[in-house]
Amino acid sequence: MDSSPRLETATLVSREFRAPGFWFLKLRCEHVARHARPAQFVALDLPGGFAVRLPLGIYTAQDDTFGLLFKEWGERTTRLAALPEGSQISCIGPLGNAFAMPRAGERVVIVAGGLGVAAFWMLVKELKEASIDTTIVLGARSAPHLVGREELAAFGFPFEICTDDGSEGHRGTVIDRLRSLPRADVLYGCGPGNMLQALCGLADKHGITCQVSLEETFGCSLGTCWGCVVSVRRGSGQATGYPRAPGESRDLDFARVCKDGTVFSSAELVWAS
Amino acid sequence: MTGAPLDLRVKIGAATLKNPVIAASGCYNRGEEYAQIVDVGRYGAITLKSVTRSPRLGNDMPRVFPTPGGLLNAIGLQGPGIDHFLAHIAPELSKVPTAVIASVAGFSVAEFAEVAALMDGLPNVIAIELDVSCPNVDREGQCFAADAASLAAVVGAVKSRVKLPVIPKLMPNVADLRPIAQAAQDAGADAVSLINAVRGMVVDVANARPMLANVSGGLTGPAIRPIAVHAVWEVAGTVSIPIIGMGGIETGNDALEFLFAGASAIAIGTANFRDPLVHVRALQGIEEELRRRSVASVRELTGMARTTQAKAGSH
Repeated sequence: MDSSPRLETATLVSREFRAPGFWFLKLRCEHVARHARPAQFVALDLPGGFAVRLPLGIYTAQDDTFGLLFKEWGERTTRLAALPEGSQISCIGPLGNAFAMPRAGERVVIVAGGLGVAAFWMLVKELKEASIDTTIVLGARSAPHLVGREELAAFGFPFEICTDDGSEGHRGTVIDRLRSLPRADVLYGCGPGNMLQALCGLADKHGITCQVSLEETFGCSLGTCWGCVVSVRRGSGQATGYPRAPGESRDLDFARVCKDGTVFSSAELVWAS
Repeated sequence: MTGAPLDLRVKIGAATLKNPVIAASGCYNRGEEYAQIVDVGRYGAITLKSVTRSPRLGNDMPRVFPTPGGLLNAIGLQGPGIDHFLAHIAPELSKVPTAVIASVAGFSVAEFAEVAALMDGLPNVIAIELDVSCPNVDREGQCFAADAASLAAVVGAVKSRVKLPVIPKLMPNVADLRPIAQAAQDAGADAVSLINAVRGMVVDVANARPMLANVSGGLTGPAIRPIAVHAVWEVAGTVSIPIIGMGGIETGNDALEFLFAGASAIAIGTANFRDPLVHVRALQGIEEELRRRSVASVRELTGMARTTQAKAGSH
């Protein structure tokens, strides 16, 4: 079966309240569930007169069902959270690129801030199957916002929990915690932009391979509208390959987060200083 | 007359489209992304993203923001420039499974004419749309589409350099579209596209700053549809060249609104993002209407609401 994205109808099979505003939904859609790769996403068409789809990262994927872990933060996520079980949802997926797996014997640290954890279930599953030494660093503002641990814990990797307010685990950020851990060979990150910038900075400083999955406001979700770009180094693998614009002195190019990503290597990204 | 063959062909200047449903510029690339999930060959034509003379990086982020019934965007014409386009993208156009309308954007009359001339004769390209909503650097940044003389200069210069039909895409942010459309026709335009995105803005209240890096953007989607239908209605009463109507079309009924208001063809942009089958639904809606009215050709639908209104004797 072809793993390229398809326009499908998914059925909402269960909805589970995780924390105030946080939901874990399971949708039945065999094509997405069977072909989703770590960090890929779906684009959902929700009722309510919205002009564009809601893109959401695929959290879990098993048999014919995939899971979404998300927070109500706008009208479309609020609408999704309110849909009753049994609802039929138009779904395009799986979309975007995927995390590349480490080589055998490499040590992995996964760094997830807040809902960034949702990018990692599929990766953790593959790391487990490949017997890769993995540590998961999870951070959130406070204990109630530490969502997503339930599913990841099943793989048995060690956790490092951090909260800004110290209500659980280490008080401080995931980056603080990462600095005190043994050096990793490969880092994976997903979470707020400032966290990812710090992670990439740390990775580059120590010469560690680092892949991050970025979040952006998407228009088309397919790569046609060029609305969700990120700065990458000119000539890097995910750059457009377009010639340099006249008068443009910066050594950067704009790649599409939805189509060329959402996963980018820290070596490619150019962060605002 | 169910089962009778329906004639969906429309003419734009010397070009004939197999049907009147076109993919709008900036929303579809050359169809390769959507071809993964739907039959893009059902479109009567696909309009390419606008190409400028030089490569452009485009605007900083954020570039898009969803609004009630719409999408605000300020991409800033990110693109490869005409040389890279000719070398790397033009050779792929023969693989597009329907007709292609090239789109040219520019900041001077000379740039439009030069780039359009290089598009003329490319494989599969049957017409050239002019994205004239950019500022004209030759006239203190006055937007081409806002000034009849500027627009006429661009259309005239392009027409003198190309054989293909030329279609300026007009923007609604003007006091009166009619003299501008008239100027386009007088300068030799073979058709007009209308409307381009409506200028708009969203403020990020939490951070007390404009939501888009470019401050303002173009609003598209169903929120602008009545503005677009009215623009078609007005311009159809003024010019005799075909009108390609666009702005928030999401259904067959929406497409029929534009045709009845005076459009000969319609284009769909933002609605592809939500419903990749929107072009098929629009076509089906048009076909059903032809059967319902026992009309053989889609060309007979153009301006039908104008005829009805004229018969009623009210203006």
